[in-house]
Amino acid sequence: MLAAAGRAIVIMSDPLRLAFLSLGVLIGLALGVIPGLGGIVGMALLLPFTFSMDPYAAFGMLLGMGSVTTTSDTIPAVLFGVPGTAGCAATVLDGHPLAKQGQAGRALGAAYSASLVGGVFGALLLAVSIPVLRPVMLHIGSPELLAFAVFGLCMVSALSAGTPLRGLTVAGFGVLLALIGADPQTGTRRWTLDTLYLWNGLPLVPVTLGLFAIPELADMAIARRSIAGDSRVDSRAGQWQGVRDTFTHWWLVLRVSWLGSALGAIPGIGAAVIDWIAYGHALRTEKRAAETFGTGDIRGVLASEGSNNAKEGGALVPTIAFGVPGSASMAILLGVFLIHGLQPGPDMLTKHLDLTYSMVWSVALANILGAGICFAFSNQFAKIAVMRGPVILPLIIAVLMIGAFQGSRNWGDLMALILFGVLGWAMKRLDWPRPPLILGFVLGETVERYLFISHSRYGWDWLGHPIVLALFALSAWGFLRPLWREIRAASRVGTVLSGYRRSPRLDANTAFYLFLVALIGVMMFYAAGWRLNAKLVPLIVGGVSLFMLAVSFLHFTFRTSPDRDAGGVAAVQARRVPMDLQVADAGLDRRTVAVRARAFLGWLLAYLALTGLIGMLPATFAFIVLYMWIEGRERWGLMLGSAAGVTLFCYIVFDRVLHLAWPRTLLRVLFPDMGEFVPSL
Amino acid sequence: MTFSIPGGCAPLVALGLSGCVMLAAAGPVAADSVSDFYKGKTVTIWVGYTPGGGYDVYARTFARHWSKHLPGNPEFIVKNRPGAGSLLVTNELYNILPKDGTAIGVIGRGMPQEKLLGSDQADFDSSKFTWIGSANNEVSVCVSWAKTGITSFQDLRTRGMIVGGTGEGADTDTFPKVLNNVLGTKLKLVTGYPGGTDVLFAMERGELEGRCGYSWSSAVTTHGDWLRDKKMNVLLQISTEKHPDLPDVPFVMDLAETDQARQILEFIFARQAWGRPFLAPPGVPADRAKALQDSFMAVIRDPGFIADVKKQKLEVNPLPGPRIAQLIARMHQAPLEVVNLAREATNKRDRIQISKVALKEMTVKGTITDIKKGGRAVMFEGGGQKGELAISGGRTKVTIGGAKGSRKQLKKGMSCEFVYAGSAAKAISCS
Repeated sequence: MLAAAGRAIVIMSDPLRLAFLSLGVLIGLALGVIPGLGGIVGMALLLPFTFSMDPYAAFGMLLGMGSVTTTSDTIPAVLFGVPGTAGCAATVLDGHPLAKQGQAGRALGAAYSASLVGGVFGALLLAVSIPVLRPVMLHIGSPELLAFAVFGLCMVSALSAGTPLRGLTVAGFGVLLALIGADPQTGTRRWTLDTLYLWNGLPLVPVTLGLFAIPELADMAIARRSIAGDSRVDSRAGQWQGVRDTFTHWWLVLRVSWLGSALGAIPGIGAAVIDWIAYGHALRTEKRAAETFGTGDIRGVLASEGSNNAKEGGALVPTIAFGVPGSASMAILLGVFLIHGLQPGPDMLTKHLDLTYSMVWSVALANILGAGICFAFSNQFAKIAVMRGPVILPLIIAVLMIGAFQGSRNWGDLMALILFGVLGWAMKRLDWPRPPLILGFVLGETVERYLFISHSRYGWDWLGHPIVLALFALSAWGFLRPLWREIRAASRVGTVLSGYRRSPRLDANTAFYLFLVALIGVMMFYAAGWRLNAKLVPLIVGGVSLFMLAVSFLHFTFRTSPDRDAGGVAAVQARRVPMDLQVADAGLDRRTVAVRARAFLGWLLAYLALTGLIGMLPATFAFIVLYMWIEGRERWGLMLGSAAGVTLFCYIVFDRVLHLAWPRTLLRVLFPDMGEFVPSL
Repeated sequence: MTFSIPGGCAPLVALGLSGCVMLAAAGPVAADSVSDFYKGKTVTIWVGYTPGGGYDVYARTFARHWSKHLPGNPEFIVKNRPGAGSLLVTNELYNILPKDGTAIGVIGRGMPQEKLLGSDQADFDSSKFTWIGSANNEVSVCVSWAKTGITSFQDLRTRGMIVGGTGEGADTDTFPKVLNNVLGTKLKLVTGYPGGTDVLFAMERGELEGRCGYSWSSAVTTHGDWLRDKKMNVLLQISTEKHPDLPDVPFVMDLAETDQARQILEFIFARQAWGRPFLAPPGVPADRAKALQDSFMAVIRDPGFIADVKKQKLEVNPLPGPRIAQLIARMHQAPLEVVNLAREATNKRDRIQISKVALKEMTVKGTITDIKKGGRAVMFEGGGQKGELAISGGRTKVTIGGAKGSRKQLKKGMSCEFVYAGSAAKAISCS
């Protein structure tokens, strides 16, 4: 084994192979920065170039690319609150507040070094576990996969800290959203609104970007200030501080790396929740984390970033050992095996052990290289945080829209982006936690799928499998302990009797409650007519969510809120706001906020309308110029220059290089024979 | 490898298998307009499955070699749009993807029958698609994991087997149902796995005992080691013709005990003939459709393609587009009783007795195309179906213009509503 590992290092140190690996890393870093693009797009793009390479170089380039998208995706997450890939939404929670405090450099430095440690550690874990991989994985059956998904789902209670009932409701709503689309058991089209768009379910990209990115951009537009406000910005010095933070919290970083690579090996868990599970883990185990997470705690950044890079090493496990792709990009990698006449399975761990180890080294090398490049070149990134809002905002919005469109290249993606943007903004303003929604959304389908398989294969016997029992016990503990803490904290703060209000509370939150009740109610009404296997999970989850929602609603309407009324030391002890980003409006009154929020939504809709009329690229140009002029009265040179720059960039990257589809326009529908004189029309 | 092309239809010796190629030179005018159209464009191949699977591998291999054979040399790219066993992409191809020849699909071979077999979610008429060609006459197999001790087809009838499926409508789900219903096997279906690779993994770890509806070509490519090491037994081959590599494996058509059972199997498994179908939306301009069909066959003769295919151990036994269209048209004319029984056989999860099945009443609107035996039988066409119905003097209720009538009053050309079960008419009401 050691000999094979050694041979693999020699093989990989061939200059040409290293060059391909580095090329992959550069492309991966670029894809990670752009929201909506990630490893999958890159794999599909690079795949044809690997046919003529030897397998070492081919895997080196593709893995090099896939490994580092989660290193650079931190940059937009920290600076703008826009997650660069779905795998780093948790980074936003603490990384972005740090940027607002002028500590973007520190957050980035910590993120790069945690990514580096996580990525290398994930690869090493893979390397040492190769001899036992297959026997261990053969014990992971459908009931175990189900138990892992349930384990992940139970993290919602930790992520609902401060607002447990709302958190659970939102998680249930997330599960319901995950069940949209054709059901595997009966083929029933669930909640597809008769659109083809929803047949395959809601795509993750527009949902994540809508929930997390749009609200941040909206609040930036409302506050009318730069990201860092008046704070001084650290850049180089901050990055080194971030590196030191990583070493101070080395035990946390190692733990989340382990968690990331182990969960990465489980098919069906997915990159989009691994960061949240690690974040929830840190939240529960780190000292006083419940009070400071979500407000710019460096440990939150470390947890998320350490885990999402470690995942790539883990995801290789089922692919190499069994030919079962653990993620979408691994599925494409599987194609490389076929092209080179390799068969995933036992042969990879015996006959082709050199190759397997060369993959391990590729992941490790790529992580080192990726973090190094980010360190070297992102010195200036932190300074973006002081740029004026009207200058930077339209540029981010433009890239965000085009990125969201990559969800499934359908107009529905843009609609979903805006709808979930509005939902996310309302949730952020009204103190509803968003992380549980993502967790429910990603894991809901997996839970349902393996629940049916486990039941139809084993009856109820699967509940007795030892791994299932252990995971369920762990889940129950993880689920109930934070809840119990909440209940105790709540009972300390106000006594039951004196906690009632004289008159019911009615405000914007009342409307939001009613909206959710109506929405879930309508969904359940439609579900009631489906065949049994199609409606079972929707009705149970919907019912539980409605119950939680009702209790929470009553609680909200008739109980006094302790932190605001009572104040006092006890209230400060317990967190009474959701585990999520907090709103900072710089003392604006509600009227101004409402007017500016509507204006922002107006801008987004105007951009969509322009896209529908004249095509996305011309719309991008027009949108940037108009936004800068109306909102900021910028100089013409700056306006035209940046609009032309972004449009050209999008044209080259999305149209010429990646060959991605554009939204269909009205002009095209009306005049189908019109020539293609403007790209994207 | 040699090719001779006498008189348009030629034996094609590709990788030891045979097929039939139609060749005709496209006129220069047509070629010019086709090449003008495709110049600088991108043709997207939409694959209804996740990357890495059998259909996807075929699509990607064609995509790499297609450009130089299509006039105008457009770029070919592959996009995966998995969903509902490729029903999603099939519906999209029919309804929303561009009909100008820049969108091509690779769909499940069962899709053309989807509507006939009673799916209310198939929003397409398979006879209207532009069929480009099929890369392989696919032989599907039933396999068992050797450790289970299941070694022969007979075991499936006596002992039974737990098989995995990837979702309602997929071959992995449909084939076990058909075998249970028509041949009396005792397969137990556990469905909902995310993909074929997951089913195989579940089989390897002992959760499942086997898989029915596994392309032989895919088995050779992705798990040749299991075949080599005898970890997996091949129990049954399912196709319209036996596979030359599997002379000793029982052939599904040989196992039918009655003529009717055989007809049902032939109807359902007709899909194997167009095992790896490439198609375009309906209404692609004729010259481009022809260019696509011709270039598809040209790709198959391309030495670069052949080398590529060999490297990946892919099986290629092509069927030209026009031939697929013929077969699908013929499939639409199958006797109603066979279609109905096939529908039952593919939908019912448990075993049904073909002889005793309670036939579902069907209603169709259409016109009378012929009267036979003095009104004792009537030919009809409409609602995408056509066939012959027996009319009984006593049991068939005939209504004409709202009033009670007799079978003698039925005339050719009348438009009527037919209610029938099997091939017997229950009620006919004409205007």
